[in-house]
Amino acid sequence: MATEVITTRRRRYLLDNERVLGSVLMTPAVIYIVALVGFPFVLAIIYALSDVTTGSRGFNFVGFDNFVRILDDPVFLRSLRNTFVFAAISNILVVVLAKALAMILVADFKGKWVIRFFVLLPWTTPISLATIMWLWTLDSLFSPIDWVLRWLGLIESNSYFLGKPGLAMASVIIVHTWRIVPLAAVIMMAGLAAIPHEINDAAQVDGAGFWRKLFEITIPLMAPIIAVAVLFGVILTITDMSVVWVLTRGGPTNSTQVLATWSFLKGIEGGALSQGAAIALFLLPVLVGLTVVILRLARRVEVF
Amino acid sequence: MVDRYGSSTRREFIKRFGATGAVAALGPSLLLAACAEEEATTTTAAATTTTGPAAAPSTSFVEPRTSLSGELKILLWSHFVPAHDVWFDVFAKEWGDQVGVAVTVDHIGVGDVPAAIAGELQSGSPEHDLLQYIAVQGQHEPSVVDMKDVVDEAISRYGTMLELTRKSSFNPNTGKFYAYAPAWVPDPGDYRKSLWTPAGFPNGPSTWDELLDGGAKIFSEQGVQMGIGMSQEIDSNMAGRSLLWSFGGSIQDENEKVVLNSDATIAAVEYMKELYENAMTPEVFAWNAASNNQGLIAGELSYILNSISAWRTSQETDTAIANDTFFTPALAGPATAIAAQHVLYNWLVPDFSSVNVDAAQEFLLHYTENLASVAWHSKLYDFPAFASRVPELNSWLDNDPFGAQPADKLSVLKTATDWATNIGHPGPANPAIGQVFGESILPVMYADVAQGNKPPAQAVEDATAQIEAIFGDWRGRGLVGG
Repeated sequence: MATEVITTRRRRYLLDNERVLGSVLMTPAVIYIVALVGFPFVLAIIYALSDVTTGSRGFNFVGFDNFVRILDDPVFLRSLRNTFVFAAISNILVVVLAKALAMILVADFKGKWVIRFFVLLPWTTPISLATIMWLWTLDSLFSPIDWVLRWLGLIESNSYFLGKPGLAMASVIIVHTWRIVPLAAVIMMAGLAAIPHEINDAAQVDGAGFWRKLFEITIPLMAPIIAVAVLFGVILTITDMSVVWVLTRGGPTNSTQVLATWSFLKGIEGGALSQGAAIALFLLPVLVGLTVVILRLARRVEVF
Repeated sequence: MVDRYGSSTRREFIKRFGATGAVAALGPSLLLAACAEEEATTTTAAATTTTGPAAAPSTSFVEPRTSLSGELKILLWSHFVPAHDVWFDVFAKEWGDQVGVAVTVDHIGVGDVPAAIAGELQSGSPEHDLLQYIAVQGQHEPSVVDMKDVVDEAISRYGTMLELTRKSSFNPNTGKFYAYAPAWVPDPGDYRKSLWTPAGFPNGPSTWDELLDGGAKIFSEQGVQMGIGMSQEIDSNMAGRSLLWSFGGSIQDENEKVVLNSDATIAAVEYMKELYENAMTPEVFAWNAASNNQGLIAGELSYILNSISAWRTSQETDTAIANDTFFTPALAGPATAIAAQHVLYNWLVPDFSSVNVDAAQEFLLHYTENLASVAWHSKLYDFPAFASRVPELNSWLDNDPFGAQPADKLSVLKTATDWATNIGHPGPANPAIGQVFGESILPVMYADVAQGNKPPAQAVEDATAQIEAIFGDWRGRGLVGG
């Protein structure tokens, strides 16, 4: 009996002790991150500094040779440029569209919840599935967009969205934007909801119009939250390979090749695992730097 | 202690939500287990009820050379002909039952196989004992078992091995068979007779010049384009090699020295530009591996380079298109008339202690013994590397058991071994050739010129520089000669 009481007390103590309980609850997340993010990340660094191939048994340290080699590769340089272009244009579009969408969705109107549901759908759909839908929509022969444009008399032959370099780049950017806008809109809705009504009311009393309120009140107050949305957008764009892989596999003529797809082609399909790892890690310092800068900026704006 | 979760204590909260969490965590597993069971039941049912035409070859069994035990786990692609997989699964398990080996077969989508193989070999403890892919896998040579023993045994039992499959599984620099390649798939031209007859070619084109002449006429007079891909996918890679060889060029010579930068290559690139401008549309730059199949089946293309799979599909979807589709052998160019194989099966046995090497190798010999069944259940998609194992092949091609109209439509494939070659022609299909293929350097070279991005000489020079770098890497590892 006495032992039972002690055991119960000990259990209660453990469950009520925040340090113990906190550690216990955090453990699964830590294991998850170490196993699925930390370990592959360290492995990628090791691979990038070696001469390992998909079939090799040995491991030779080659320093930064792989990084030097990939810089001589014109396709890598093109992929690097494309990655920046996609990330920059996609995220400018994401910020503008998500901001507009957030402002619409915080307003009161009938059927708001249904609209919110549909707006969020692109984000909740698995990316590969959603991209296959776009692949069919942009098909060279059977695109419904072409069909409508032809029916309206705006075009005579098909557009070949994925067959012309310029249109293929635009297609990839649009699909990225379509995918990320809902997430960014939800983040910005939270920011909008956090702006005190009194500030807008006071500005209105002072005679401020929509644009003045937007640029002098809403956007400055939302800057930290916009920064977070941009951070998510940039990282999701730069690290994603699904959209490009499903839509174009980097074509035509590598015009939509990005670092993620080129890394996969080189490392897995081509067998040069170490070079693939080097390509995948190439932007890591940039991404880390970008993350630090954006988070610091966000914090500084928040403090002001 | 009442906390912010309402009237319950933190302990109660944890208990209550802990139980919910456990159910939530186990739920998907239970669901997956249920699905797996359902799938297994379905597979078994399908396997036992699928019989095929009455003339299907029967399975023959040869005793293994050694006594076997344990497990044999096989990973292979989901075949383009689904009936093949239904047959294969039963075939493998029945063999296992006879020799005392528990056989498991996993099929995955063709696009996922390279990553799966790379992952298994890199893990150091492969999940499967036998890995199969539809393209050359020379890059894995250091991590796989030498298959010389199997090749020698198969040759002693069944006679000569087809040269193209041998060159696609053997590394002359190391003397190692990194894979076993008992079957392959030809890559003929598929043309629509009703379109080519008015253009003056009722039997389809026989040369690249006729392809240009007839294709341009059909495009301008009948409004139907042709489809020779210049995209980053398998069919475009095969088409680009056929054209290159037919014009006298090649990526490497017999000794694995890079020789792409030549007048012949420039002429091939110029030809492709002319073909694109006169007979094709920008769709060919956007294709994936299924696109030319879809275009032919939909009646939107006059000619494609592909296996018979597109036509087989049209037999089920549109018999008018199927009956109007015919085949040509490799087109003749200024130098020769050869085409790459469409698919080449590389079976790999990982070289790790956990792998049941004996069972894997004996299964491959059993598979070779039954290549007639392989050809039959793939609806004549798969061809044997050992001709003696399928003596009925020519009669099947002359009188298609699967409903071709006319029945001798596939007769042209009887000579396929004369005009098909490996992707490294005239050298072996080494790891560098595999990487050049994987990175689609040739299709991009053609496309750059067709789109006007680069003049032909520049495109060829750039492609050569990329290829030289790749060959240099693999030479450094001792896997490529030259």
